[in-house]
Amino acid sequence: MSAHAPWHIFEQTLHDPWTLAAEWKQQTGGPVIGHLLPDVPEELIHAAGALPIALTGAGVRAARAHALIPGYTCSHAMGVLERALTGQLEILDGMVIPYVCDTTRNLHHIWRRAFPKMWCEFLRLPKRLEHPGARDYLKEEFSRMREALCRHTHRAATDEALEESFCLYNKSRAKLREAYERHRKDPSTWSIRRLHALVASAQCAPRDLHLQWMERLPWNTEADEASHCRVPLYVRGKIWDPPELPELLDGLGFVVVGDEMVTGYRSVGEDVHLGGDPLEALVERHMRLIPYAGYHLSPREVVDGFLRRVEQSGAAGVLILDPKFCEAAGFDSPDLRQGLRRRGVPLLALETSDRGGAVGALRVRLEAFAEMLSQTVP
Amino acid sequence: MEPIESLRLLKGINIDYYTAAHTARQNGKFIAYVNAFTPVELLYAMDFIPVYPENHAVILGARKLSEEVIHAAEGMGYSRDLCSYALCDLGSIRTGKSPTMGLPKPDLLLVSNSQCGTLTKWFEVLSRLYGAPMVLIDVPQSGDGQKDSAAERYVRRQLEELVSILEDITGRPLDEGRFRECIHLSRRASELWSRVLETGMHCPAPMTVFDQFIAMAPIVAQRGTKVAVDFYETLLEELQGRVERGISAVGDERFRLYWDNLPIWPELRRLSRFLEAQGAALVVSLYTWAWATLAVGEEDPFGDWAHQYLYTANLHMERRIEQYEAFARHYKLDGFLYHSNRSCKMFSQDIPEVRRAVTQRTGIPGTVLEADHNDPHLYSVETLEVQIRTFLEMLGAKEVH
Ligand code: SF4
Ligand code: SF4
Repeated sequence: MSAHAPWHIFEQTLHDPWTLAAEWKQQTGGPVIGHLLPDVPEELIHAAGALPIALTGAGVRAARAHALIPGYTCSHAMGVLERALTGQLEILDGMVIPYVCDTTRNLHHIWRRAFPKMWCEFLRLPKRLEHPGARDYLKEEFSRMREALCRHTHRAATDEALEESFCLYNKSRAKLREAYERHRKDPSTWSIRRLHALVASAQCAPRDLHLQWMERLPWNTEADEASHCRVPLYVRGKIWDPPELPELLDGLGFVVVGDEMVTGYRSVGEDVHLGGDPLEALVERHMRLIPYAGYHLSPREVVDGFLRRVEQSGAAGVLILDPKFCEAAGFDSPDLRQGLRRRGVPLLALETSDRGGAVGALRVRLEAFAEMLSQTVP
Repeated sequence: MEPIESLRLLKGINIDYYTAAHTARQNGKFIAYVNAFTPVELLYAMDFIPVYPENHAVILGARKLSEEVIHAAEGMGYSRDLCSYALCDLGSIRTGKSPTMGLPKPDLLLVSNSQCGTLTKWFEVLSRLYGAPMVLIDVPQSGDGQKDSAAERYVRRQLEELVSILEDITGRPLDEGRFRECIHLSRRASELWSRVLETGMHCPAPMTVFDQFIAMAPIVAQRGTKVAVDFYETLLEELQGRVERGISAVGDERFRLYWDNLPIWPELRRLSRFLEAQGAALVVSLYTWAWATLAVGEEDPFGDWAHQYLYTANLHMERRIEQYEAFARHYKLDGFLYHSNRSCKMFSQDIPEVRRAVTQRTGIPGTVLEADHNDPHLYSVETLEVQIRTFLEMLGAKEVH
């Protein structure tokens, strides 16, 4: 077996989750439900007997989607729509779109009309995270979603079933957190590219199977000498877009000591507490997540919380990836940058989207950033 | 064309409004920055003057200052893809450029995300900038108008809590009598504004949507005051007179059109003249109608607001299509102009689908104009004119056949 062999399955799944989903469907007879990122609780879908698949649009060249949504839409939403219009999502028996921003709000309407036969639910996420009413509302919304899912799948997502799903997902998250630790110690073997494939593929593979695959990884590798010279980096962004970014960062000698990606540490950092009211436990986890830009916190906390997280990570520099056409990220970004500058933290802010095919230009900027940082890292 | 005399009153009304805002502190008043779908009647009743940063941005756009201030906002690190109202506001704060001497500093930032998510993030920036408290009225809309009693409770709770937040800022309790009076005035102004908009159903229309865009300032910013009521009484009377005398807003009215989305503020005058020259009257727009639906009852204002913000603000696509069908009938429309507003994703992303469905159901064609509400850098007005002319020629050819 080559050294690449146990890693390959994660990249393959990320690239093509559909074949696996079809096999799963055949074996279990269960439905496959796609969901847009972030914050649709996978455990709810899983407990209702379905396979949740997180959908992202990075790296998709839009053609047909332009007829349904204007070009000034982020690549995340546009790419997922394109996938659906070109038949890539035919395996799906349903779809959940969360209220993340105006774009997902509109996408939900467009989706319902473009695919009238597909079951599609809108998850009404409250935005005022610090208000106690948001917790109460979210619990009721999760309850509504649970019922809607069960009606659709014809299975009962009982409290026991939910608890079992929590256990499975917690176990998976714990393993993925361990992978983050391995990455920090041994980024040559546990590269950013591999780490990303590992974490992101967990969101689109049957979770128990994914856990089994993870068992085969070389968990006990020793850090090689070169690892000590890596530059510790903190990354803020939604998804790796363009998808080549992790590999670029590997090549430039970075190690990710913290990130806020919805296909990254944000998805594995927090577990669901067991043994209590399951919906309350889900709400509680939701509230502990690294706040995504689409939510509202007290405005100072948006900046201060971010600066705290960066400081705690021990990063030498910060990479901010603002998705093009994303209002949520775009309004936060200047104040975050200013906060970093005041503290003397080097940063690189990139407006990213694969639609422009700008990987070459990104590389040049990242190289300059790496060079600058390598002079500051002892 | 015979101009609408009442519109001349607006200059004084607007000057008085901004003067009152700038002198609020001397007069024991407070300033709340707000957006649509916030309870302005409550604010007026509690000695707050509601100020709309969006309206200030409109003035910058209409006075052709937006390019310059947006450029300044870019210099602050804001992407040009963001809402150009927000960019104008932030750039104006940075440069000090403003025909209204800027806006007075806020005592409170009150925003509802029923309108869009952008405003929440924009107001967060302002809150950090001014060190002012911010309250978000969080409205988790169902997306398709489904009743959601949990959401009603959540929104209502936030609205009710607002009273004590305002009391804490002013140090004065809510005067129920004044509150009722403001609600009453708001209802009256909204009724009058509805009548004003309905005059557009007459052929020829006595007023165009371009005039409505100008005339809507009081229903937006001064809903709940006598100023708004008096202005719309005067305007309505004049419009009724024009209807009786058969006075058309555009001379020989050949085409009756719908305008979708926000105006292109920097081109308001130019496009108005251009359409007038073609005999095309914009007779109705959901944007101006939206302001007619925001009044509440005295019995349960908080419940009414919660309902509005959840179910009637920002119609979801299916209801919007139905509404356009109704407009087509009532206003005898010949065509739809859809403004695909590049930096307002909220009101633009579903236009391709809305246009398709509306034409399919009504048989009335529509054309999509790619532009922006406040950033002239993002469109070419000459191209827009060519496109509108082509569309009207197509409508004209249809007329002949
Ligand atoms: S939050 Fe930003 S990146 Fe995510 S869907 Fe909305 S616009 Fe796109
Ligand atoms: S123009 Fe659009 S994005 Fe900007 S504040 Fe208004 S609704 Fe929001």
